[in-house]
Amino acid sequence: MSDPFPIPVPARLPDSISPCPIVEAIFELRFTTTETWATLPGLLYALIRDKYRDQRRLPLDHVPEELRKDSAFTHMPLLQFLSPDFLIQLGPRVISLVTKSNAYPGWPRIKQELEWLLGEIKKAGFLDEGERLGIRYIDFFAEDIFPNLLLNVHLCGQPLKGSECQVATVLRRPPLAMRLIASNGAVVKVDGVPKSGSILDVDAWFGALDFDVFENGVKRFDDAHLAVKQLFFGLLREEYLATLNPQYP
Amino acid sequence: MMTLLSSDCYHLHEGLSDEVPSSEVHRPAPNEAAQEELFLQKLGARGWGRIHQFRNYYGPGWGEGQGRSLSPRAMAAFCQFLETATFPSGCLPSVFLTDRGGLELCWENADGKAVQVEFTSEGAEYYLEEGEIESMVSHAKMKALAEQLSAA
Repeated sequence: MSDPFPIPVPARLPDSISPCPIVEAIFELRFTTTETWATLPGLLYALIRDKYRDQRRLPLDHVPEELRKDSAFTHMPLLQFLSPDFLIQLGPRVISLVTKSNAYPGWPRIKQELEWLLGEIKKAGFLDEGERLGIRYIDFFAEDIFPNLLLNVHLCGQPLKGSECQVATVLRRPPLAMRLIASNGAVVKVDGVPKSGSILDVDAWFGALDFDVFENGVKRFDDAHLAVKQLFFGLLREEYLATLNPQYP
Repeated sequence: MMTLLSSDCYHLHEGLSDEVPSSEVHRPAPNEAAQEELFLQKLGARGWGRIHQFRNYYGPGWGEGQGRSLSPRAMAAFCQFLETATFPSGCLPSVFLTDRGGLELCWENADGKAVQVEFTSEGAEYYLEEGEIESMVSHAKMKALAEQLSAA
């Protein structure tokens, strides 16, 4: 098998690029609990309601519990709690902090919110054991992203150009696993308007033996964030990155 | 079926979207293809199916009402053990979910003596009928335990 992480890590990483391509960032914790779904939302809401006043039931919450036992739904959220800056998604075995669409607040602000949220989860006392700690960044580009990536797709020895294309792969940087999806056939809502273009969708996570939620959870989110950032900037061609107005520290 | 972090912030053009999922095709979660292959190789189809059931259909309170969900740490340790473990020719170990959310693996060694290992959120406890040995080890020792018990 080839190098499990073949992407070169740039010597310098920008603090930001503009326009910011991040559509959404999700910081997710999967867990086990002895609490039933009937009690879980109340345990959390009692602690976060000052910041997250509004709630929204997601469509899956209307599906009977027996049907939700299908493995495809095990880690899906059923409920959202909303604040002006973020939303929190909760399911029977998952909780996630999600940025508002197309309004990425920057890593320091996210890290601050994660520290607060993990503290509230600890106080709520429902978390039995962490199963997976992961982050996911979804970036949108109006153009075909493939010519701008250090990623080539060939068909019968010829570069695949101009066709609708999607590539998904899992890369390993132990103890992290990372799943990368690149697609030039995606539709994203930007300021409420659907736009067609490309997405880079990167998901990085630690397995159950590689983190402890309350001991090093924030540090692990930090590690995963850095790895995703390195992958993102490592994947872009230098000349393309230069067009994105990178700001270096 | 792939289990992704949930987001509905984009959708794919029709040509790139998944067709209606086939009930005949099981798509492992990302990074779990090797693990699924491991279960099939070392535990057979029956063992693979049981683990799938334990992971997905045994919630808190299963059994008599006191059973705990499968511990993710126990599951991860179990996988590390299986990667190294070898079993006597023709032997497919049996696997059980325990009340405390552990996974118990049982088989007979080449002399027909029972070997049992329970993987828990804390480590692994094992019993060897030959010599009446009982002990436990931490998660960090799964490879060494597999080597030890493979030779037992």
